[in-house]
Amino acid sequence: MDLALKELGNYIAGQLPKDVSGTTVKLGELLVFAKAESITRVLAFLRDDVNCRFKQLVDVCGVDYPERTPRFDVVYNLLSLINNNRIRVKVETDEATPVPTVTGVFSSANWWEREAWDLFGISFSGHPDLRRILTDYGFDGHPLRKDFPLTGYVEVRYNDELKRVVYEPVKLTQEFRSFDFLSPWEGVQGLLPGDEKVEADDDDVAKGGA
Amino acid sequence: MGVDPTAASTKQLPSGPAHDALLKQITGELHDKGFVVANIDKLANWARTGSLWPMTFGLACCAVEMIHAYMSRYDLDRFGVVPRPSPRQSDVIIVAGTLTNKMAPAFRKVYDQMAEPRYVISMGSCANGGGYYHYSYSVVRGCDRVVPVDVYVPGCPPTAEALIYGILQLKKKINRTGVLWR
Amino acid sequence: MAETQIRNFNLNFGPQHPSAHGVLRMVLEMDGEVITRADPHIGLLHRGTEKLIEYKNYVQALPYFDRLDYVSPQNQEHAFALAVEKLLGLEVPPRGQYIRVLFAEIGRVLNHIFTVCAYAMDTGAMTPMLWMFEDRETLMEFCERASGARMHMNYFRPGGVSHDLPPALLEDIDAWADTFPKMIDDCETLLTENRIFKQRTVDIGAITAEQCFDWGFTGPNLRAAGVAWDLRKSQPYDAYAKMDFDVVIAKHGDCYDRYLVRIHEMRQSLRIIKQCLADMPGGRCKSDDRKISPPSRAEMKNSMEAMIHHFKLYTEGYHVPAGETYTAVEAPKGEFGVYLVSDGTNKPYRCKIRAPGFAHLQAMDLLSNGHMLADLVANIGSLDIVFGEIDR
Repeated sequence: MDLALKELGNYIAGQLPKDVSGTTVKLGELLVFAKAESITRVLAFLRDDVNCRFKQLVDVCGVDYPERTPRFDVVYNLLSLINNNRIRVKVETDEATPVPTVTGVFSSANWWEREAWDLFGISFSGHPDLRRILTDYGFDGHPLRKDFPLTGYVEVRYNDELKRVVYEPVKLTQEFRSFDFLSPWEGVQGLLPGDEKVEADDDDVAKGGA
Repeated sequence: MGVDPTAASTKQLPSGPAHDALLKQITGELHDKGFVVANIDKLANWARTGSLWPMTFGLACCAVEMIHAYMSRYDLDRFGVVPRPSPRQSDVIIVAGTLTNKMAPAFRKVYDQMAEPRYVISMGSCANGGGYYHYSYSVVRGCDRVVPVDVYVPGCPPTAEALIYGILQLKKKINRTGVLWR
Repeated sequence: MAETQIRNFNLNFGPQHPSAHGVLRMVLEMDGEVITRADPHIGLLHRGTEKLIEYKNYVQALPYFDRLDYVSPQNQEHAFALAVEKLLGLEVPPRGQYIRVLFAEIGRVLNHIFTVCAYAMDTGAMTPMLWMFEDRETLMEFCERASGARMHMNYFRPGGVSHDLPPALLEDIDAWADTFPKMIDDCETLLTENRIFKQRTVDIGAITAEQCFDWGFTGPNLRAAGVAWDLRKSQPYDAYAKMDFDVVIAKHGDCYDRYLVRIHEMRQSLRIIKQCLADMPGGRCKSDDRKISPPSRAEMKNSMEAMIHHFKLYTEGYHVPAGETYTAVEAPKGEFGVYLVSDGTNKPYRCKIRAPGFAHLQAMDLLSNGHMLADLVANIGSLDIVFGEIDR
């Protein structure tokens, strides 16, 4: 299985040398890295080529890596019913660069691209109808970005004087409790509680010394 | 039940000989004189609790349990509880599921369209206080932020039996506190 | 006669509509009673599941999957459990696999009972719901006996199932499986040849196989268009490879065929349930990897190590090696996939939920265009839409 997928990956890379930047097989799943500007061509090739026949676009989604540039991955999962295999195509983009839409190749991409726009703020050029889809009407921000807080910025309440539902800044009676379970020998992610005081003291001492 | 011509007791009689005797007395009086005397607010309460028509407001998972409560095994029809698809016809709204920010204005509108007296049953932990989705950016942390709630039914989701118990609690509450004009 | 100005009008359908199957809102452009454009507005049940999963560890994230498609919770859990197992490289013992297949099929029957009956109700038949829901109750009782919860089982765990089945449950499921075919027959006498039901459904919302591929249709909706594609057959997971069952297909791809496929899938599910019961192996029901599957209560009382493992698993959870996978199962509604990205910590880095209903609902415009308003209800019902999974 892995071998066949590897061969298929090499075949795709050979056929589209300008558009595909690499292929790997991991955990029995074929992954193709493509260039964002040529995603339409890649998907059309995967759909129509006689050896690929990935006729179904199963899923499109974004992944956010804030510390990386460009920060977003757009992941396309395809399925071939004839060859009974799957392929995953990945392209990279950032907030400013739009990815060409693939709605011309697969109609089903329409809502998934809208969803990626809504949740991540990844824009798709040429999309027929790029509106928000899941979040509230008039929602501000892109919730699945890693820098968006879990509880968001607004919450609703019925205001008895205005006789309508109003939006207000979030006020939680109890904060969301998030524990850092990474033990020190597995790599410290954040500061341990109390560490910030040590840093501050050091600074003071340094100033005093100077 | 609320129709009590002689003794002005506010307590509801349990079914048994005393209850039967009371019913017989009322029937006899009705037969004899052609009318009975009752406190009108109690009569109104009795009528209200006899046919609580809930609005079918199934939002999420709890809706499935709500449907189960209406269906053959639990059969809420026994209590005169018949689901209505229109807010204009319903007395009680069962908020069954997660209320999201996007849904809240629509929900309030439905509630506003209901005629008085109206009651709200909040079903499930999501409707009670956000529950499992409490910290989400898109969920109302309890439907009591949007409408006044009479009965909270806990559970995720509450079983159909729990919902029935909640409805019976609401009946008790109406019997206890209901007046003609609210 | 003076020429009159004819104007199409817009109709708002939902979000509070009894046959919208939840909180669907549709903005319809109507030409008289004929739909010229249907624009579904979704997200009225968007609960931020994917975001919440990123903040919870793998043990805490599993119950969110129950609450996605709340009509058949078991199958969603199955997808997540399989995805995590794939990243962990975990083997499930045979008994665990069989129990999972058994309950996945119970989930399928639960779903199809609900869909068929709700669909019948949308098209004007009340009786099937009253009859079939008794069986749904029975099945939910089985779930309750196995896991303690009627609906949201939280029973399938990475590495197997949370605990073994109680005594006599298998016999009771067997007894139910003997009586249920009669119930399906009864339901069919009410609907299959029913003149009103056929008038409401035949040739309504017909879709071809090519269109199905283009729009990402999967599951019964794809099979109703004549494509014999079933992940349980073509990419078998758990014990499905050992099961003998047929893939149900129909020819026309209209609402009536989608109904027929579901009815016959229930019969096939019963076959699988029967085989699971007959071949149920003994042994452990979950992996014996102590770093992943928690110890039993009794063990905890006696063994210090078990106690520590329990404490670690229920506070920190387990760490999943970095990697990514797209794992899909054949949920009753179609292909339910989980695209899971792990960064090596105890929380998923990204968990994309691929809901079948999402793809089906976006074809609503294609299906309803040119049909009457009343056919829209038939279309919604036949697609088997549940908002928990679409809006997530």
